[in-house]
Amino acid sequence: MPPVAVTGLGCICAAGQKLADCMSSIFLGRGAPAPPVRFTSNHPVRYPVFEVAGFPDDPAMIRTSALGLHAAREAFADAGLDRDSLALLRVGVCVGTTIGCAMSNETFCRQVHAGIDPGMGPIEVIQRSNPAAVIAREFGLSGPCQTVVNACSSGTDAVAIAASWIRSGICDVAIAGGADELARITYIGFISLMIADDSRCKPFDLNRKGLNLGEGAGMLVLESDAVRAARERKARAFVLGYGSACDAYHLTAPHPDGAGLRRAIGEAFAEAGISAGDLSFVNAHGTGTPDNDRVESRVLRDLMPGVPYLSTKGFTGHTLGAAGAIEAVLTAACLERGEIPANAGFSTPDPELIATPVREATPITGTVALSESLAFGGNNSAIILGRGESS
Amino acid sequence: MTHPDSRIVIRGIGAVGGFGCGVAALEQALSGGEVRPGRVALPMTAVSDMAAFMADTVLLKDFLPVKALRRVDHYSRLALLGAHLALADAALPEADRAGLGVVIASGHGATGITFAFQDSFINDGDICASPTHFANSIHNSAAANISIMLGAAGPSLTVSQFHLSVPSALLTARQWLLERRVERVLFGAVDELSRLTSHYWCRQHGPAADGTLPRPLRTGADTAIPGEGAAFLLLSREEDAANGGYCTLDSVTTGRNLPPGPLSASPGLLLLGADGIQATGRRYAEAAAGSRIACYTPLYGSMPPGPAFDIASAALILRSGVVFPTPAGDACDFPAAVAKGGEPVGPGPVGILTLDDDDGHGLISLGSL
Repeated sequence: MPPVAVTGLGCICAAGQKLADCMSSIFLGRGAPAPPVRFTSNHPVRYPVFEVAGFPDDPAMIRTSALGLHAAREAFADAGLDRDSLALLRVGVCVGTTIGCAMSNETFCRQVHAGIDPGMGPIEVIQRSNPAAVIAREFGLSGPCQTVVNACSSGTDAVAIAASWIRSGICDVAIAGGADELARITYIGFISLMIADDSRCKPFDLNRKGLNLGEGAGMLVLESDAVRAARERKARAFVLGYGSACDAYHLTAPHPDGAGLRRAIGEAFAEAGISAGDLSFVNAHGTGTPDNDRVESRVLRDLMPGVPYLSTKGFTGHTLGAAGAIEAVLTAACLERGEIPANAGFSTPDPELIATPVREATPITGTVALSESLAFGGNNSAIILGRGESS
Repeated sequence: MTHPDSRIVIRGIGAVGGFGCGVAALEQALSGGEVRPGRVALPMTAVSDMAAFMADTVLLKDFLPVKALRRVDHYSRLALLGAHLALADAALPEADRAGLGVVIASGHGATGITFAFQDSFINDGDICASPTHFANSIHNSAAANISIMLGAAGPSLTVSQFHLSVPSALLTARQWLLERRVERVLFGAVDELSRLTSHYWCRQHGPAADGTLPRPLRTGADTAIPGEGAAFLLLSREEDAANGGYCTLDSVTTGRNLPPGPLSASPGLLLLGADGIQATGRRYAEAAAGSRIACYTPLYGSMPPGPAFDIASAALILRSGVVFPTPAGDACDFPAAVAKGGEPVGPGPVGILTLDDDDGHGLISLGSL
């Protein structure tokens, strides 16, 4: 498949409200999860999370969409595209999320429980807040508009779908990524599944106990070669390949042998026309849950032995539908920088895992990296990014 | 690289809705021209219930052991039934399921179980939240259950774009086939009428007066009756469909800012898609002006998966070559010609136009094999 150019990047997460801030704090090793501020829980354990501090709520839309819009603004500005220039192009939007389309509102539900005829205000806000539609409305985009709800692989899948639109000529430009907010309902849900860590998450560590939820958004501007040539715009990265496969095994647990992940990575390699030896590094899903990290490290060892890898979730938390997109943005930025950060939270190797992530900021050679996502429902997605021309 | 010369074929149809279950039930409803809606309870409003096209999943036991369905909610059951019906209709061998891609379109997702999950911790405290309810409330639970129960290990995608979910998801399903990412895609659209969505409908549209039926081709009045159900299609490239199929899926376009005025229609176009919702009715009438139109929403109700039921109906028309009668077609005040039942479909394509109240649109074009 021909590469698709990435000409703009945007990122907001607990590590920062702009990509440059995120990269700076990640490489400085700053940031730690804390008990949630935006909501309370009567659960006896206060599980820490990675919240985006100082990002105000917008009553007109759900926080997920506000986060997505914030990152989209940064990505379009980075690409040098404003509303006027976008109006002259066929521009699509593809956004991954988990919360962004959920018709769930606790206030509404509690009113029902109390025997009160519930007001529809919160539900109407959800209806107006479809994350892709919000971006399309804000920028007056006329192309396809798609919100992907593939659980935690949504962001990766959204970027790949948008790349497909560019390759096939459906759009000139696409904004793609993922967005998710930290919500009480998902917080309680992950605790109920007993896969949340009551301290900082420790991806790939012997003592890992689970994930820390996070929130944020990552957005990439993808652009056709024709439009990019006309605008004389350099690429910050390229989407080189993508693969996706389902475990068809369990609703919330990965296949023990990583069957789907192996196929997804194999497809991505084939599509990009590369092999494991070409990779500079892997940005792993690395949630810090015992099952995920066991399966993922086995696949990393078998398919990509010796390739440096890390999880960035020790800096961002698990941002669910945004995770794959945030990690794609960080992967592109690390390729540009020629360096990857330490795998935060890792200190004690797990003998069962054999492979270990990088422990400190590490220079990289080469121009290609892989970012992978595993999701509830058994989805596995892998995207291969190449270094751009502006590095 | 896409292969634009490849034609995409609808090989199998699985549908469950207010009309019954299976392609034969849908065809019977289309031929008969009338389905009486049932009632859905409205525990949160002054009225106790309202008219709605409700779907029954009892026939799922023909495909799956009851034990396997113990923890599967109504939403996923609808999807599982639609999926199995489509594969049975296409006579797809079990061995061919392994690489099957699954694409699901859903406007609202699993709202019933999402509500039940919230019930679990509101009732007994956060520590008592139900992990089973939470796992099943994830938006891609239907796709996951289908993949698990069918052993479909290809890529899986769920799209939620409210009323435009079907064209949006179908765009990607078609891309997967054109890119040869998969050999076949099981595409499905599903939504349920839960406590939440029924209440929301009632607040938005009000309950239909007793005994009235939808009049989707009349502008200026909200005559829609809500529905629930699942409509599934087995899609493949034409070379994989040597043993038959219904029709071709020629194009899918979706976006915003549909130019005002009539669609620049292909000669002989037959247009489907009106669903009786007032907010989009006038815009639909404007776009359909001068076209030949048909409408079957009164047989399954208005719902985000509606366009997938329209595709299934159009596929049956294209296979038989004959248009079904439009229920309440005489109540049309659109500046368009309502196709009479029994007339030839003609040489042109069948289009399914979907509009939302946010300037979005989708247009799906089907052709004869």
